[in-house]
Amino acid sequence: MIYDIAGLRINIENRCSYTDNFCKAYLSKDQTSPVDLTTRVTMEEFLAEKETSEGFSDGYIENICLYRNICKQIPTLNRLLLHAAILEYDGNGYAFLGRSGTGKSTHTQLWLNYLSKTRMINGDKPILQATDKGFLAYGTPWMGKENLGCNASIPLKGLCFLEQAPENSIRKLIPSEVSARLFAQILLPQDEANAVATLDLVDRLIMYTPAYLLRCNISEEAVQTSFEEMTGLAYETARKNKGE
Amino acid sequence: MKLKKGFVLRVVGGESVVVPVGELSKTFHGMINLNETGAFLWKFFTEEHTVEEGVVALCAEYDVSPEQAEKDVRKFVETLQANGFAE
Repeated sequence: MIYDIAGLRINIENRCSYTDNFCKAYLSKDQTSPVDLTTRVTMEEFLAEKETSEGFSDGYIENICLYRNICKQIPTLNRLLLHAAILEYDGNGYAFLGRSGTGKSTHTQLWLNYLSKTRMINGDKPILQATDKGFLAYGTPWMGKENLGCNASIPLKGLCFLEQAPENSIRKLIPSEVSARLFAQILLPQDEANAVATLDLVDRLIMYTPAYLLRCNISEEAVQTSFEEMTGLAYETARKNKGE
Repeated sequence: MKLKKGFVLRVVGGESVVVPVGELSKTFHGMINLNETGAFLWKFFTEEHTVEEGVVALCAEYDVSPEQAEKDVRKFVETLQANGFAE
């Protein structure tokens, strides 16, 4: 079936029905026009994934492989998979990144709890598109264990790398600090055209998007710290009223 | 000395990085970060050259003594060979 994902027409040739249901919110109304890419999973890829994901259904495993294959083909189409959570605040997108266990979902949940006009675009694996005005972040069907996200796109205004700390602090990162951290959160395809395109997209992402290192605890002050630095707005104007 | 085919060098965030692609990416994983002279020598040794030619090229490009240049080029070439990056 053909799906509209990250502004592309993607033909997914799945064998298991798992993916039909998983991607149904992205099913294209137009099943006949040409597509941007086609993806399927080879037996070799399936078996390799099955070894590392023991105990999961065949449909789940095929579904993981399908997304990986999509993401390896999209850099030449100006798009990049980013391992991050994308939150929207009032029409702008902010990416939160960190190794698993650094509190990404805790911090983004605090934003959702305390701030008005906020929603999750994708909690785990959004796709970014380079445009001449900067990057757009897209929700996709693949959005992590907590399944938080929606079928939407939003201009990306900041990258926020998280580290746990007893006190809250935030500082801007310089490009060389950003590249090392970003490379841990992307997928590098093996074919030359897509590998080169990936490196160029990461370079553009660093040039276009301000990046910060947030060292934070799990208090409301942590939200104030990242929110004010990234948006330039006063926290009090954005905070939900009590009971909201 | 000549570098194996299948590496690409790119400047990302102002830093030179090298990654393996195609067949080579199956045996080499990860990426290599290069400083400015490292990136210059990497490009130089994508064609077959001797250490001596590398020293001459480095001296022509940078304000460096021939003694220091020879040390740098030898160290660079040894690192490439030790990691299996040379043909």
